[in-house]
Amino acid sequence: MSIESHKTTTAKSEHGTTTSYVIGLMLSLNFTIVPYLLVVNEIITGNALLVTILGFAILQMFIQIFFFLHLGRGPKPLYNIVFFFGTAGLIIVVVGASIFIINNLYRNMMPDEVTRKLAQKEAISQVGGKETGACNANKVNHIVTVSEEGVSPSYTSANLCDTITFINQDKVTRELVFGTYTQNVSYGGEDKVVLDDGRPETITLNQDGNFVFYDKTNQSIIGNFVVKP
Amino acid sequence: MTHAELAVDTEHEEAANDRTMFGFWVYLMTDLLMFAVLFAVYAVLKNSTVDGPSGRDIFNPTLALAGTLVLLVSSFTVGIGMIKARLGIKKQALIWFGLTFILGLAFLGITMYEFYEIIHKGYNLGTSAFLSAFFILVGTHGLHIISGLIWLGVIMVYVMKRGLNKHMIRKLTLLSLFWHFLDIVWIFIFSVVYLMAFV
Repeated sequence: MSIESHKTTTAKSEHGTTTSYVIGLMLSLNFTIVPYLLVVNEIITGNALLVTILGFAILQMFIQIFFFLHLGRGPKPLYNIVFFFGTAGLIIVVVGASIFIINNLYRNMMPDEVTRKLAQKEAISQVGGKETGACNANKVNHIVTVSEEGVSPSYTSANLCDTITFINQDKVTRELVFGTYTQNVSYGGEDKVVLDDGRPETITLNQDGNFVFYDKTNQSIIGNFVVKP
Repeated sequence: MTHAELAVDTEHEEAANDRTMFGFWVYLMTDLLMFAVLFAVYAVLKNSTVDGPSGRDIFNPTLALAGTLVLLVSSFTVGIGMIKARLGIKKQALIWFGLTFILGLAFLGITMYEFYEIIHKGYNLGTSAFLSAFFILVGTHGLHIISGLIWLGVIMVYVMKRGLNKHMIRKLTLLSLFWHFLDIVWIFIFSVVYLMAFV
């Protein structure tokens, strides 16, 4: 009988009490609902949200390990902890390296089908000498001359898949930035067109809408173009 | 038995318990590695939707939250059941384990309903690499839940018939470990699969 009671007292510290389970449950519920609300109400977005979600998951894992699994409580299961951290290390390597390697592989050796779709989406008409099927409509080339006097013509109306050739009339390097001075935008994934001294540069109009651009060094040089779908 | 013999006996018992626990712990960690691989596959193929839907189109975050809460509470009830079992209160222990069983069934129901909803929309395991990875990851977890439920059901019948002896306590301890483990794995499925789909 004395041994029985001795067992229950040691058992308590090692196996947890009702209180520890209640605390564990309350914390877990909170750490589940908070990220859920963050996601559903779109309070934060992008990478910050990704990191927050992962952070809450890892926090939650430690709460459960401590309050539910009672790892590290009581004198005995030290080797369990060692084994757990060993496994955690393996997991980080397996998951991290897989993501890293496959992403690299994907970027550099994209399957033809994916490349073609991407090219179509970005209106690249040829990849590796093959037609992608993008922008096969009649392409019109619009000439826009940029000089210290300004952009001529200052307004260009074009259709999707047309091209614009920017001609730099001065012996300086110009950077034409899309958007206004206070609010830059990107066009077709690029945020600027760089014109080396006296050299023209052609862009394909792969995004419809109304766009403004300005010279980075001389913000009074402004032009705009409209791309109709 | 004399007092000394009894002490030696308990010592043996504890050593045997430790061995069993460690063995089971090794299994759990191996299982965790398997889930890690499935997670890696999912993370890699997450955006490979081809022309199929992305997670944002088909996941129901409220349903996923409901499942998570149910599983969290079941992890709590199995813990309380363990406390009652260690105290030797058979009836209460059975009630808490019964509650765990019902919550586990409810969780399984939610997962099945979600699968049904997705398949009903015309998508399945073969639609895209993303959906293959999704169904395999969540399905593997679901299979673990099913085995856990069968295990729990069998032990409950044993406890009802034979009472709470130390062998039962050992079995129940392993089961509760397993159940908490599934809960932790699910937390990551909830975060990585369901929540991150909406980022």
